Amino acid sequence: MERVPKNLRQKVAKLLTKQAHVPYVGPIALWMVLFVIAPLVIILYFSVLSTGPLGQIISSFTLRNYADVLKGAYGIILLRSLAFAFGTNMICLLIGYPLAYWIVRYGGRWKITLIFLIIIPSWTCYLIRLYALKTLIGTTGLINSTLLSLGLISSPLQVLYTPFAVMLGLVYTWFPFMVLPIYASLVGLDPSLLEAADDLGATPFQKFFTVTLPLTKGGVFAGTILVFIPALGEWLVPLLLGGAKVMMAGSLVEYYFIKVGNIPAGSAIAATITAIVLLVVYLGIKLGGQEVLERVT
Amino acid sequence: MKASNMTNKILPTLSMLVYIFLWAPVIILVLFSFSSNRFGIKWESFTLQWYFDIIGNVAVRDALIRSLTIASITIVVATIAGTIAAYGLYKYKFRGRGALRTTILLPMVMPSVVTGGALLVFFSRAIHIPLGYLSITIAHITFCTPLAMFVVLGRMARIDWSLEEASADLGADRLTTWRKITIPVLLPAMIASAALIFPWSFDDFIITYFVAGVGTTTLPIYIFSQLRFGATPVINTIGTILVVLPIISVLLMRFLQKKK
Amino acid sequence: MENREGIPCVELRNVVKRFPGVTAVDHVSLKVEQGRIFSLLGPSGCGKTTTLRLVAGFETLDEGDVLIDNKVVNDIPAHKRNCSTVFQTLALFPHMTVEENIGYGLERKGVAKDKIKKEVGEVLELMQLGGMEKRRPSQLSGGQRQRVALARSLVLRPKILLLDEPLASLDRKLRKEMQTEIKRIQREVRITFLYVTHDQKEALTISDTIAVMANGRLEQVGTPNEIYETPRTRFIADFMGAINIFLGKVIATGSSQEVQLETADGLKIIAIKNKGIPSEEITGISVHPELIDILPEGTDLEGDNKFRGKIIEMNYQGDFTETRICLNQVDRIITAHLSNEPGQNVRFSLDERVLLCWNRHSSKILIG
Repeated sequence: MERVPKNLRQKVAKLLTKQAHVPYVGPIALWMVLFVIAPLVIILYFSVLSTGPLGQIISSFTLRNYADVLKGAYGIILLRSLAFAFGTNMICLLIGYPLAYWIVRYGGRWKITLIFLIIIPSWTCYLIRLYALKTLIGTTGLINSTLLSLGLISSPLQVLYTPFAVMLGLVYTWFPFMVLPIYASLVGLDPSLLEAADDLGATPFQKFFTVTLPLTKGGVFAGTILVFIPALGEWLVPLLLGGAKVMMAGSLVEYYFIKVGNIPAGSAIAATITAIVLLVVYLGIKLGGQEVLERVT
Repeated sequence: MKASNMTNKILPTLSMLVYIFLWAPVIILVLFSFSSNRFGIKWESFTLQWYFDIIGNVAVRDALIRSLTIASITIVVATIAGTIAAYGLYKYKFRGRGALRTTILLPMVMPSVVTGGALLVFFSRAIHIPLGYLSITIAHITFCTPLAMFVVLGRMARIDWSLEEASADLGADRLTTWRKITIPVLLPAMIASAALIFPWSFDDFIITYFVAGVGTTTLPIYIFSQLRFGATPVINTIGTILVVLPIISVLLMRFLQKKK
Repeated sequence: MENREGIPCVELRNVVKRFPGVTAVDHVSLKVEQGRIFSLLGPSGCGKTTTLRLVAGFETLDEGDVLIDNKVVNDIPAHKRNCSTVFQTLALFPHMTVEENIGYGLERKGVAKDKIKKEVGEVLELMQLGGMEKRRPSQLSGGQRQRVALARSLVLRPKILLLDEPLASLDRKLRKEMQTEIKRIQREVRITFLYVTHDQKEALTISDTIAVMANGRLEQVGTPNEIYETPRTRFIADFMGAINIFLGKVIATGSSQEVQLETADGLKIIAIKNKGIPSEEITGISVHPELIDILPEGTDLEGDNKFRGKIIEMNYQGDFTETRICLNQVDRIITAHLSNEPGQNVRFSLDERVLLCWNRHSSKILIG
């Protein structure tokens, strides 16, 4: 019986030294649980509640919210969001990768400045950037007026409030986030590997596809995570550039939470988006390897 | 050869187009904030009138002060919490380290409407925090602390940690070592995070919009409310501020970095 | 690869390569004999690596010509030249297995899959790497990675194999083993090797021909024996370890090619020169430490070069002790090796006064 307290003391002491990290990561972990995980769980909870005839929330389990979201008009909006996000991702990739490659390969001393010029816009208020883009391409905007005065067109081009405008806005907003991880990945590439490929007889074309691309896939997948996910949940771009005609998943969330106050429905959409986000992150890390995590941060 | 054709002609042209595409709208916005032409798209003459106008504009002033206050609090809390967390994550290998790291990554990656919406529901339905300064500040801290943590974490690999060991060896206790060695050594990284957090907090619109409730207007929210009037010089001016300030902030950070 | 006798595998004609602020390769001309190991030896920055890269095609030259198999290849890009490089960092593709790495060059050539498998298998055997096919470079030891890099280049049967300090990162024991390995492999495949190193012992072990370089210029080309025994310049002598250098002028010559040299501080040294070298061209003499005998001060003997001095430093090196002696006659320090082999019954200690002695044949003539 006397032995027990001593063993216990030893165990606690061992536990305390093993947990030296607690005071450091404890606070942030706690905060994350409280303000990130808990809200998501709450959302999940609300998403399966029903709404009564007067709009109030009733505690009865239902999957109707999800059914509403995934079917009909709203289901189409979700699909459209996926399509937009995918399209944005591909455009950013197809333009961003060559750009990053050009900067790394031919940038020389200006590499850092060049990449900075891409990144800086992303640090500014994106509401303003979208507004600036909107004024530029609007019917009374600079582009139209210039084209009109040059006589290239007879009446202003109606670009705004079309899917094209939304796509343009999405690419405009999220493009820098694809370039940076790819740039970081390319910069970390060992140049002697490229020389070795040359030495072993690879043409520039073969060199790119057998060596450069496989070794930079971490950057590509990181860029995908950083572009696809935000584009999916966009609200502001479709609002400003798409008007009521082009809605995306994010617009629905805002509609339900703020305009209408239908918490369960909004939660259902938010939860669905979250699920897709988690899936994309998981796939990105699986396919891109550990490097993805480093490049994202 | 096809490949060299590609690299010599297409790539540079493509790149130039990209830079123009990215910067044109912003540059034009800034330029027009100095134009005396009220509504037109033609540049008349240079004027600072619009800037003087907004100085007198009470609503703008209030919104600006709110944004700055929230940003300041956020910077302080997020930088400190992020640095401490980065220290713990870097120095100690513990179970759940990877999972914690991925969780902290999440708020940075999630779409703003989801974090904003989730926090709105959480504040109003679950823990009953009033929507306003408090909710906005909490929200900002939530998505800025991960940024601070990752910035500091990224620099930790390049630091000479034997300095800490030397300090301990010479008899300093943990707290003193922290005060005299660790913090000074981490200071550049902390300043860098502060410089990066400022734009994230100051410029934030979507999440702030969701959790602000009625009556608490930050600068971006004010702009948004003005947008329904179409293009106005006020928007141009404030927009320019919202664009130029963060750029200065980031450039300052680079400048300080280079000096080291 | 068959080659007509007499045509060098690689030839450099007056090659110049400049970088901003420095001429890395300064009018270098040399001929690399077919089927041999040719080494470029010199200190860091002497231009040996740049010369190698000019042959490989990774650098473009400013003046002169590079010829492979008697064909000028100046404008032919690296991936079209028939040479293969083993990089200092090995440059093994981290995302490919050993098999895939080795087969890479063959794949680029469009060789059929089964033929690739066969060739790769053969070269793996040659390198004694059987069983490692599916491993990744990160799972191999240093020596194994070396051999994979070699295999990757050799499997293409290039006209010439270029090696850029391939053993620089290995520890001493492994280096010695690999030096023997490389020599064995070369003898078996009979491909010309152009080898770059800064280690004179390595060059002496491996090479059939050595070219010593300094400051972008060729100092001397010859067999290991020639370079070691008859270093032409003070720099080469010093680099090859003949670190006892006496500069001076010939004051007397004898009938059998013996010469007597007098240094500025009055030392007189006897050496034997080559028939073809005129005495006026001789600028000095170098002597290897291991060829100098250390004897007790009072020893009475007949000998060519005898000097008395005091031991000021002794560094134990295992089978010998590096001993530094300050001469009585003049203010000079001579380095000699004291053998530690069992059976040597004379022991010396610090501050002891000794007699140094070496034979006239041990004095190497310097002419530059």
